[in-house]
Amino acid sequence: MPSKERESSEDRVDRCVVGIDGLDNILNGGIPRGNTVLITGSVGTGKTSLCLEFLVHGALYGESSLYISVTESTDKLLKNIIPYDFFEEKLVKDGRLHFLDIPVIYDRLGLDKPEFGYEEIHILVDAIVEVVKELRIKRLVVDSITSVSYRLKSEEIIREFVLRLGSVLSGLGCTTLLVAEIAPSYERYSTYGVEEAIADGIIVMGNLERRGDLLRTLQVVKMRGTMHSRAKYVLDLTTTGVLLVPLLKGGSVAAGGA
Amino acid sequence: MAKKLADVLMDLPEGSAVALRMGAEQYFDTIRAILDVFAPKKELDALYVTSTIPSRSILNALEVLEIPLEHIWFVDCISQIMMSSAEKHPHSIYVESPTMLENLMLKVEYLSRKSGDRGNVIVLDSINSLAIHNNTKILSEFLHILVNNLRSKKAYTLIYSMTQYESEDIRNMMNLVCDETIEVEGERSG
Repeated sequence: MPSKERESSEDRVDRCVVGIDGLDNILNGGIPRGNTVLITGSVGTGKTSLCLEFLVHGALYGESSLYISVTESTDKLLKNIIPYDFFEEKLVKDGRLHFLDIPVIYDRLGLDKPEFGYEEIHILVDAIVEVVKELRIKRLVVDSITSVSYRLKSEEIIREFVLRLGSVLSGLGCTTLLVAEIAPSYERYSTYGVEEAIADGIIVMGNLERRGDLLRTLQVVKMRGTMHSRAKYVLDLTTTGVLLVPLLKGGSVAAGGA
Repeated sequence: MAKKLADVLMDLPEGSAVALRMGAEQYFDTIRAILDVFAPKKELDALYVTSTIPSRSILNALEVLEIPLEHIWFVDCISQIMMSSAEKHPHSIYVESPTMLENLMLKVEYLSRKSGDRGNVIVLDSINSLAIHNNTKILSEFLHILVNNLRSKKAYTLIYSMTQYESEDIRNMMNLVCDETIEVEGERSG
């Protein structure tokens, strides 16, 4: 496609502005609306902070936002949340920012089996979609998809879960971030290698060791529907939000870490 | 000398990147010219990046000189690597090591955001001490990105270069990124 046409088609993309300046620049203005994006990385790389900031900015922009917590209770999460300068309690009180613990959903649906099959997955996806419709959610975070996947019997069921959830939510104009936990130096972007193949986008967060210094990094590996940078950036988690600067190459950088 | 230097700085256009070449004897007069005269007159928040001596030492000097700290913030890249046990100061934020140049940029960005509508002058103290810990290639890349980023925000960037410790590489680097070089000269006696 000639570059002018490509530029104008980029201009027409309906985008979900993340609200993190550096990331929106990397993504040429934001995530194409309705995309399902895998936020993947090892522990302590800032995945949850980035996702929460995405939701808070969404709520501030007037978009109803939902965080589904799988690994830790919302109460514990909120106690440890970075005290963002831009966070307002009223976002929660006014019903623009919602938190939901997945064990509560399991209880309500009677999903008490240690392992889920196709039937349970369809029930779970339908329940999440119902919540999204009822609350008119435009931004959703599932933290983490890895923890949900522990209960899924096979890669086919994981594929079915992510595909079904992503396609229904995309149809509703809901932009979804799925958090995936991976071990450091893992060759894949998700534990099961399935989620990464289905997601519209992959943002990898990692730790880079350089001469004894440990830097937090972010790299957009894939994002359907938009041009984007594929370079690696260094990030900092601050009360003003996630900040990003380019990783310095300095002629040669010893590879290491994620 | 402080007033003379401050007068020269006052004439700089917004977004200027300037090399301040000086000897060790002009060091504290230069700090005074920037933090006590130039920044307050221009109503700027001063973001002082120190990799030469701990911020605590400069803060102590500022207190002796009775320079108000309200609009002065430090990015201290040296205290932690020295395993300093000095009490943390509320106007200092710390970078683990002067080799973490990206984190240094991130802290400047953070403080700049915290400044809100006020403009900024960023002081880099000094290119020579950063050159001890970093090779020329990564340091050039760092300066190029930092200065251009700050220039786009119309912030002033003042980079110290101590003449006793200057190398050819440092001079070339400074010529590449800075719009101007100011030779800081002490008062002549007699």
